[in-house]
Amino acid sequence: MQTKKERKPIYSILIEHREIPLLAVLALLLIAVSLRVPGYLGNSWLNVLKNGSINMVLCCGMLCVLLIGSIDISITAILAFAGAVAGKLMGDGAVQSTIVMFLLGIGIGAVIGALNGVLMSYGRVIALIVTLSTSYIVRALIPMDWLLGMNKINPTQLTQAFKDSLINHSFLGLPFLVWLAVLVVVITGVFLKYTRTGRNLYAVGSNAEAAQMRGVPINRIRVLAHTICGATAGLAGIMWLAFYAAIEKGSALGDEMFTIAACVLGGVAVTGGYGKISGVVIGALMIAFIDHAIPQMGIGNSMITEFIKGILLLVAILLNVILQRVAEKQDLARRNI
Amino acid sequence: MQKVKSFLKSWEFFLILLLVVMCAVFKVADSVNVASGVSRKSVFYFANVLRSMRPYFLYSFMTLGMMLILAMGDIDISVGAIGTLSVVTLGVVYNKLAGGAEEGSPMALVAALAVCLLVGALCGALNGFLVTRFKELFPMIITLATQLFFRGFSYLLIGGETLTFKDPTFKSLSNLNQLLKIGELQIPISIPIYLALAVVFYIWLHQTGNGRKIFAIGTNSAATYYSGVRVDRIKFWCFVIAGFMSAVTGIFFVGNSSSSVKADIMDGYHMYAIAAAVLGGFSTDGGKGSVIGATISLVIFGVVKFGLGNIFSFPDSAVNLSVGVILILSVLGPNLLEDAQNRRKVRLRRAETAKLNAAKAA
Repeated sequence: MQTKKERKPIYSILIEHREIPLLAVLALLLIAVSLRVPGYLGNSWLNVLKNGSINMVLCCGMLCVLLIGSIDISITAILAFAGAVAGKLMGDGAVQSTIVMFLLGIGIGAVIGALNGVLMSYGRVIALIVTLSTSYIVRALIPMDWLLGMNKINPTQLTQAFKDSLINHSFLGLPFLVWLAVLVVVITGVFLKYTRTGRNLYAVGSNAEAAQMRGVPINRIRVLAHTICGATAGLAGIMWLAFYAAIEKGSALGDEMFTIAACVLGGVAVTGGYGKISGVVIGALMIAFIDHAIPQMGIGNSMITEFIKGILLLVAILLNVILQRVAEKQDLARRNI
Repeated sequence: MQKVKSFLKSWEFFLILLLVVMCAVFKVADSVNVASGVSRKSVFYFANVLRSMRPYFLYSFMTLGMMLILAMGDIDISVGAIGTLSVVTLGVVYNKLAGGAEEGSPMALVAALAVCLLVGALCGALNGFLVTRFKELFPMIITLATQLFFRGFSYLLIGGETLTFKDPTFKSLSNLNQLLKIGELQIPISIPIYLALAVVFYIWLHQTGNGRKIFAIGTNSAATYYSGVRVDRIKFWCFVIAGFMSAVTGIFFVGNSSSSVKADIMDGYHMYAIAAAVLGGFSTDGGKGSVIGATISLVIFGVVKFGLGNIFSFPDSAVNLSVGVILILSVLGPNLLEDAQNRRKVRLRRAETAKLNAAKAA
C-alpha cells in the first residue's frame, strides 16, 4: 500500500513533463518519414536545424511574452522591418560591420517591442490590439519608397562578409546560424529559470495581483517581456537577411502564427505562468521538421504541409487538455472523492 | 436632456465626430488639390465616395459575425480562413456539378452556393464545439489552430492552383459587384444588404433578451450561467453565425475578384474585421459595443482609405499605417482619459480631506 501511494500515476508524470508526449510524437514522425524516404535523417537534419533556427529565436521571445499572459503578433512585422532598415543602411554604406548589423537589429526590435509593452501595460490596451496595430504600422513603414526611397533589399546591397557570417562559418560542424539560435535559447533558459526577473515573469503571468502585492513591478516586467520579444524579433530579422540575403515588405507575413503554434505545441499556457524553454525548443523543432519533411514524402500536393501542421496543432492542444482532465480525475479517484 | 447628454458622451458620438472631422479634412485637401491644379476635378463628394465604398464593405459581413464573438469576450481569428475554405468548396463543388460544361446550369450554382454557406456554418460549428467543450483553452488558440486547419484544408482541395471560371453562370456572381442606380446615386449592392442585416442584428443584439444575454456573457460569464442562461448554447450558435457570415463575405469576395478562386485569398481578413469591430466600440474583454458603432467605423475605414488613396495619393502601405494608428488611438485615448479622470478624483478627494483636517486642527 505504502509503495503504491508513493508511485506517481503515469498521467501526472506526463502532465508534469509535457515535452515527453511531444518527443514521442516527434519520434513517430521521424520514423514515418525515415520509412518513406530512406536515409532522410542522415541527410537532412542539418537543413531542418538551419530552417528552424530563425523560428527558434522568435519562439524564445514569444515564450517570454506568453509567460506574462500577453501575446505579440507583430514579431514578423518587426522581423521584416529590422531586416529592411539594417539592410538599407548597409546598402547605403552607413554600416559595414556585421556585428553592428546584429546589434542594430536587436536595438530596432527592442524599441518597437518596448513600445508594444508600454502601450499594453501603462496604456492598458489589450495586447492583441496593440500588436495588431503595430504590425500594421511597422509593416506599412517597410516599403518606404514614398519616404526614403527604399523598396526591397537585394543581395547586391549587402557585404559579402555579412552574407557569409551565418552560413559559411561553422563551429563543430554546425553553422553559426544554428549556434546563434542555441545561444539565444540558452540565454533565455537561464534568464527564465535562474534570475529573479525571470521568475517574476512567471509570477506576473500566474497571478498579476498577487505578484504586485509581493512587490513585483508588474508594469515594468510587462514592458521588459515585450522588449525581449521585440529584440529577438529584430535579431531574427538580421538572421533572415543574412540567411536569405534579401528581405521585402511581405517577408515572413503570417509566420507569427507558427511561432505561437510552436510555443503552444511545446506546452506553454497562453493564460500565462506556465511554459518551459525545453518544450518550446521541441515545439519549434517539430514545426521545422514538418516544414522540411512533409514535402519530401511526396504525398498529396505540395501544400499538404499546411494541412498537416493545422491538424497536428489541433490534436496536440486538445490532447494536452484531455490528458490533464484524465489526470485530475485519476487524482480525485485516488483520494476516493 | 439626460438622453442628449448621454448621447454626447457615447462612443458613437465620438465616432461621428471623427468621421465629420475626417470628411472636412479631406474636403479641404480636395479643394486645395483642385485649386492648385494637382487634380483636374474634385473627387471627394458624396456620390463618388459612396460609389467607391465597394471594396471596403467586403468584410462588413465578417465584422457582423465578429461583433457577436467580441461581445462574448471571445475572439475568432479563423474567420478569414473559413471564408477561404467555403469559397474554395464553392469553386470545387461548382466544377463537379457543372462538369466542365460550357455553361453550367443555374441550379448547379445555387447548389454550390448552398454548400458554400453550409461549409461556413459547419466550420463555425467546429469552432463553437471546441470553444465550449474545451474551456481550458483560449478561443484565440483554438481558432488559431482551426485557422491553420481550414487554410490547410483549402490547400488540400486545390493545392497552389487558381480556379478560374469563364462560364457565364458562374460569372453572374459578379453581379454582386455591380452598382445599384438610384437616381443620381450609384450604390454598391453590398451596402444595402449589409444595412438590412445590420438592422436585424441591431434589433437582435440591442432590443431582445436573447441578444442582451450575449453581452451578459461577455460581462460575466459565470454570473450569467448561474442566472440560468445557457451560455454554451449561445456561444456555440454565435460561432456558427460568425462562420456563416464569413462564407457570405467569401461569396462577395468571389464576385469582386473576377471569378477566380485560390487557397490563399482572404488572408488577414480577420484582422480587418477585428479592427472595424474594435473601433466600433467592441472590446476583446467583452460586454460592450454596438452595431451602430461598428457600422460607423466601417464607414470611417472606408473614407480614410478612399481619402488617403485618392486625395493624398498615398500608397496602400501608408493607408494600412493610418489604419493601425487609428486603431491604437481609438483604444488608448479613452483609457488615458479615464486615467486622467481618476487622478482628478483622487486629487479632489485629497484636497477635501486636507481641508477637513485643517478645520479639525483649528
